[in-house]
Amino acid sequence: MQERKITISNRLGLHARAAAQLVRRASQFTSSVHLIREDTGDEADGKSILSVLLLAAPCGTCLIIKTDGEDDERAISALAELVEHKFGEEIPDGVF
Amino acid sequence: MASSSVTRSRDLRLQGVAASPGIAVGRVLRLDERGRHQFYYIGVSAAQARMEVRRLREALEEARNQLRDIKVRLADELGFKHSFILDAHLLMLEDSRFIQELESEIRTRRVNAEWAVRSVADRAIAVYKQVSDPYLRERTSDLEDVATRLLTILSGHDKFDLSKLDQDVIIVAKNIWPSTVAELDFGHVLGFATNTGGLTAHSAIIARSLNIPAVVGLHDVTRVAKTGNLIVVDGAAGEVILRPTKSVLKSYIQKRDNDRSNRHDDAVGSQAAETIDGVRMTLRANVELPTEIDSLALFGAEGIGLYRSEFLFLNRLPDLPGEEEQYEVYRKLADAAGEFGANIRVFDLGGDKLTLGGFEAEQNPALGLRAIRLSLRVEHIFRTQLRAILRANLRGNLRVVLPLICTITELREAKRIIAEVKQELADAQVEHNAHLPIGVMIEVPAAALMADLFAREADFLSVGTNDLIQYILAVDRANENVAYLYQPLHPAILRTIGHLVRVAEAAQVPLELCGEMAADPLQAIALIGLGIRTLSLVPGSIPLVKNAIRSIEYDRVKSLMKEAMKLKSSAEVEELLVRELPQQAPRFFAAWSSRA
Repeated sequence: MQERKITISNRLGLHARAAAQLVRRASQFTSSVHLIREDTGDEADGKSILSVLLLAAPCGTCLIIKTDGEDDERAISALAELVEHKFGEEIPDGVF
Repeated sequence: MASSSVTRSRDLRLQGVAASPGIAVGRVLRLDERGRHQFYYIGVSAAQARMEVRRLREALEEARNQLRDIKVRLADELGFKHSFILDAHLLMLEDSRFIQELESEIRTRRVNAEWAVRSVADRAIAVYKQVSDPYLRERTSDLEDVATRLLTILSGHDKFDLSKLDQDVIIVAKNIWPSTVAELDFGHVLGFATNTGGLTAHSAIIARSLNIPAVVGLHDVTRVAKTGNLIVVDGAAGEVILRPTKSVLKSYIQKRDNDRSNRHDDAVGSQAAETIDGVRMTLRANVELPTEIDSLALFGAEGIGLYRSEFLFLNRLPDLPGEEEQYEVYRKLADAAGEFGANIRVFDLGGDKLTLGGFEAEQNPALGLRAIRLSLRVEHIFRTQLRAILRANLRGNLRVVLPLICTITELREAKRIIAEVKQELADAQVEHNAHLPIGVMIEVPAAALMADLFAREADFLSVGTNDLIQYILAVDRANENVAYLYQPLHPAILRTIGHLVRVAEAAQVPLELCGEMAADPLQAIALIGLGIRTLSLVPGSIPLVKNAIRSIEYDRVKSLMKEAMKLKSSAEVEELLVRELPQQAPRFFAAWSSRA
C-alpha cells in the first residue's frame, strides 16, 4: 500500500484529456488506484475515467494517490510522474 | 405501452391557452428534454428493461467502433498520433463504472436506454457545473459529446418510433423548440399540448401554420400525461382532457368530425377579400416551412407578406445555409408568389428562436444581439443572403424586410451593404435583378414613434404585431405567468397602429401588417377598422379571415373602431367588438357572441 500527496499543477486541471492519460496509465498496473481530493474528501477510482472526471480537480488541487497491490510502488511513481509533468500539456500537437 | 397499467379512466381536465383551433383525439407521445435535445421518456417492464440494457450495450459497442474508426482516419489522413479527446471519449465508453451506472438506471428506474443515458450524463454534468474553476466548468462538453453520440445511435437504430405507437399521436412537451419541429413526422402528429407558451410562442405559431390543434400554457401537462395515455386536445377552448371516459371521448370524436367538415370552405379561395361596401383588402401569407409554399393558391393568398428566412437554419446549426441553397429556396418563393410578390424578412436569428454559434448565451435575449443587429455584426452571413435574394429576383417580385430596426443608422447601414452587394454582382457580371424594394419592420416602440422618418428612407413599412405587442407591453409572450398581459387590443397597441396608418398615408408609403393578430377574425376586423389594408397571416387562416371581411361593412367597422379608441382597456375594447360585430355581421360573427 503506497500513498503520496501531489498537487495538480497543469493550467487546465484534471480535465478530460488529462484524466484520460491518468486512467490509461493507472490501468497498466494490477494494483488498485484511488485518488482523494484533499480539500473536499471526494474519492475516485483511478481506473474509471468518469470517476476521475467527477473529481473535477482544477489547477492547484492537492490529490492523495493511494495504490495497493503487487506493483503499487511502480504504479504510484508512474502516476506521480505524469501529474508532475503536467500530463504533457505543453505538447502543442496531436491535440484534437 | 407499459403505461397502460396506470390508465385510469377518469377525465383529467386541464385549462391552458387556446393556441391553434380544432380538436385532436389520440395517444400521448411525451417529449422530454435536457439541453438542446428532445427525446422520449418511456417507462418499461422488467422484460423490456432487459431489452433496453441490450440496446444500450449495442449502442456502446457501436459508439466505440465509431470512435476507433475516427482515430484511425485521423492518424492516416492527418497524421495525428494522439487524439487525446477521442481517447477520453473511448475510455468513458469502456468505463465499467459508467456502464454499470447506466445499466442500473435502466433496471432500477425501469426506463428506456435514451433516458438512462440522459440522466446519468446530466448527473455528471451537474457536478461539473458546480466547479468553481471556469475552465473545468466548461468541460461538460466531453460528457455531452459522449451522451449525444449514444443518443444518436440509440435513435438511429430501433428507436421507439412513431410507427410503434398508435397512429394517433399527440405531442406533449414542456415546449416545442423550432429545432424539434424538423425532426417530427407531421404526418403522424395530430396535436400539441405544452407546459409553457402563450398564443404567440413558437410552438403555437408552428401548430397554426401546420393546421394542427394545440393548447399551450398548461403548466404541468408533462407531469400528468404519460406516453400512451389517451388525450383530447380542444384547441378552440384551450382545454386538454387526459384519460377521458368513453362517453367524453365519443362526444369529442363527434365534435372533431363535425369541426373538420366546417373548416374547409373551398369556395372562398377564389373570391376577393372585399367588404360588403366594396373596400378591397389584401390577404397575404406568412411562410416559414417550404411545404407551406405549395398551399398558397389553395388558401387564396395574394403573395407572401412574410417569409421567415431564419427557418432555413432549422436544425442545422452550426452549418449555415449556403448561397446556392438559399438561392434555390428564394427562387421557389418568387415563382410561387408570382405577380403578387414576396417579402423576405432577412434572418431574424437570436432571441427566442435560434442562436448563432460563437456568441455567449445572453441574459436577456429579447433585448440582445438579434435580428438586424446580428446581421450587421456577422456581415458575411447577411451578404450571402442578399446575394442569393438578388440573384433569385429575376422576376423583380421580391422585396426585403429588415427586422427589429430601431435606429435610422441601422437602416442606412443595411442599405449601404445592399448597394455594395448589388455593385459586386454587377461587377462580376452575375445575373440578378437590382430592383429590390427595402422595407422596415415596425416592431420596436422606437421605430413606431419614428415611423415618419423611416417612411422617408424605406420603400415600405411592415408592422410586426407579435414583437410590437411584446415590446410595448413589456411582456414575454412565452412566459405563462404573464401571458395574460399579452393584449393585442390594448389601447396602447391600437393607438400605435392608428398612428402608423396616418404616417404611412401622409408619406404615401405602403403599409402592411403581419402577426398573429391578423389571423384572429375579431382582431383582424379591428385592424381593418383602424385603416390597415394589407394583412399577412398563416395560410390556413386566410379563408376564415376572408369570410369575416366579406361579412362586414367597412364604414361601420371604421366608426366602431373610433368608439373603441375612446375605451380604456383591452377588455373594454373586446367587449365592444363582441357586442357590436355580431349585430353588424351576423352571418359571420353570430357564433362569436358566446365567446366573451
